[in-house]
Amino acid sequence: MLALNNIQILYDRAIEAVRDVSLEVPQGAIVALLGSNGAGKSTILKAISGVLYQEDGEIMSGSILLEGERISGAAPRDIVRRGLLQVPEGRALFSTLTVEENLVMGGFTRSRSETAAGLETVYGLFPRIKERRTQISGYLSGGEQQMVAVGRALMGRPRLLMLDEPSLGLAPQIVETIFEAIVKLNAESAMTVLLVEQNAQLALQTASYGYIIENGRIVLDGPAETLRSNQDVQEFYLGFSGGERRSMRDVKHYKRRKRWLS
Amino acid sequence: MDFLLLLLASGLVSGAAYGLIAMGFALIFKSTGVVNFAQGELVMLTAYISFTLYSTFDLSFFPLMLVTIPISMAIGLALERLFIRPMLGEPIFAIVMVTVGLAVVLRGITIMIWGPDPFNFNAGIPTEVVELGGVPFYPAQLYLIGALAVLTAAGWAFLRFSRMGIAMRAVAANETAALLVGISVSRIHAIAWMLSAAIASIAGVLFAANFKLAPDLWFQGLRSFPAVILGGMDSVIGSAVAGLVIGVIENLFQGYVGQGLREISGFIVIVIVLMVRPFGLFGSRDIERV
Ligand SMILES: Nc1ncnc2c1ncn2[C@@H]1O[C@H](COP(=O)(O)OP(=O)(O)OP(=O)(O)O)[C@@H](O)[C@H]1O
Ligand SMILES: [Mg+2]
Repeated sequence: MLALNNIQILYDRAIEAVRDVSLEVPQGAIVALLGSNGAGKSTILKAISGVLYQEDGEIMSGSILLEGERISGAAPRDIVRRGLLQVPEGRALFSTLTVEENLVMGGFTRSRSETAAGLETVYGLFPRIKERRTQISGYLSGGEQQMVAVGRALMGRPRLLMLDEPSLGLAPQIVETIFEAIVKLNAESAMTVLLVEQNAQLALQTASYGYIIENGRIVLDGPAETLRSNQDVQEFYLGFSGGERRSMRDVKHYKRRKRWLS
Repeated sequence: MDFLLLLLASGLVSGAAYGLIAMGFALIFKSTGVVNFAQGELVMLTAYISFTLYSTFDLSFFPLMLVTIPISMAIGLALERLFIRPMLGEPIFAIVMVTVGLAVVLRGITIMIWGPDPFNFNAGIPTEVVELGGVPFYPAQLYLIGALAVLTAAGWAFLRFSRMGIAMRAVAANETAALLVGISVSRIHAIAWMLSAAIASIAGVLFAANFKLAPDLWFQGLRSFPAVILGGMDSVIGSAVAGLVIGVIENLFQGYVGQGLREISGFIVIVIVLMVRPFGLFGSRDIERV
């Protein structure tokens, strides 16, 4: 459904944040993109949504295709209209607006009736924010804010939903609520998902396929089970204590890999 | 007592003009982050255009505004497209400097076309004095206060209930997030300039009808600054109320303290207010919560 081909991204025409990244999100799948701080995950999502220019970022080479059609270079509004929605890092709510106003804005590209139906769906998924619909969103708890952020993106009727570290800083119970909702939508309405996470455990349980990015490059990819049982991922990502084998090569390997742990 | 009533009444009239001009400022600042130093010149230019329409077609007030407002909106749109849009991505300071330059140019153009001499311009408003609660008013004074009341109510309803109005507040709150839900931020900016120019024209015509139409009309832009700041820069409704407050205070100062103090009293008030509430009376304190 979505394909990135050999993408290179520079900030300020000088800082290379992403280099030669290719990845694919098949229709109906949940794909995880894992990596540590500064690896380039958010940069990739911003590139897909077409908002890199806001930070003086630019796709220097490569292409982004949505169902075979090039969307790199399109206006963010057109990308949203085509059903590609993002829950940005750190929630980025319209903090001075009420919960419901946030959600209504999520449906900005949709018709009035679709917006009304969307509100019902979102409130069904997250009853907690229904109780708070008239409150200013900036004053909600972190968990409630994340529900509003996810709900706002859902209001745009995503065919592909991208989430940027939705579990960050949230209590396990809230993370569970949010991930349940996403899995449910994926199963019931065939919503495709691209999930950016640092919590590899969680992401590899949810996703069917994963990519691991380090210093702007994809260093490993494969089906989620394969990644879960991969020795490196286990040792350096999932936090399992390693096995007994330790050759020089592994040590060097370790040094390289451990950067996406730090 | 009568003296006080008169001062209050004339304070409300000049305050209504401040309020209208400040609303125009706030609308642009709120959605684009730019302090438009050409707002006073926009008031001036649109008032002169309206004057020419009036003297050519001899219209009464409402038909006159029906023609003036769309023309003013077109001017607002043109200014945004030609001078502000190309500056997108430049530092805000640079954009503000562009509005300063724009102000000088618009002032020059206006004086070039209409000359330096003042005109009498009643904007098709009747001129017989009416009495309200024992205080005599010119209809133009009541039109001015009425315009502020109507626009404040309309502005409030627009920002609160219409999709476009909520989108304007969304852009003010978080521009990137607005893009991510599919709001065209540049369209919102253009709409803000158009609405602001519309309000400027109403302010300009009614100010000219109350006082006179002269090339120093642009100066009302600066005189409205205390109201802009008191209103908290980004509160459209707050600026309207702040305009009235400043107008009344100025007149009370003039009446009870001394002539010369009128001009500076507004600024004294804002210095005091800013010391107590740095975000103005109605401005939004940034909500920050992680
Ligand atoms: N606006 C910017 N200007 C310049 N460099 C940037 C900008 N945004 C990000 N970078 C750089 O690009 C690289 C990738 O950043 P990015 O935000 O994509 O990482 P990330 O994987 O999302 O990290 P995190 O997990 O901390 O969110 C980093 O080295 C970062 O310093
Ligand atoms: Mg990130």
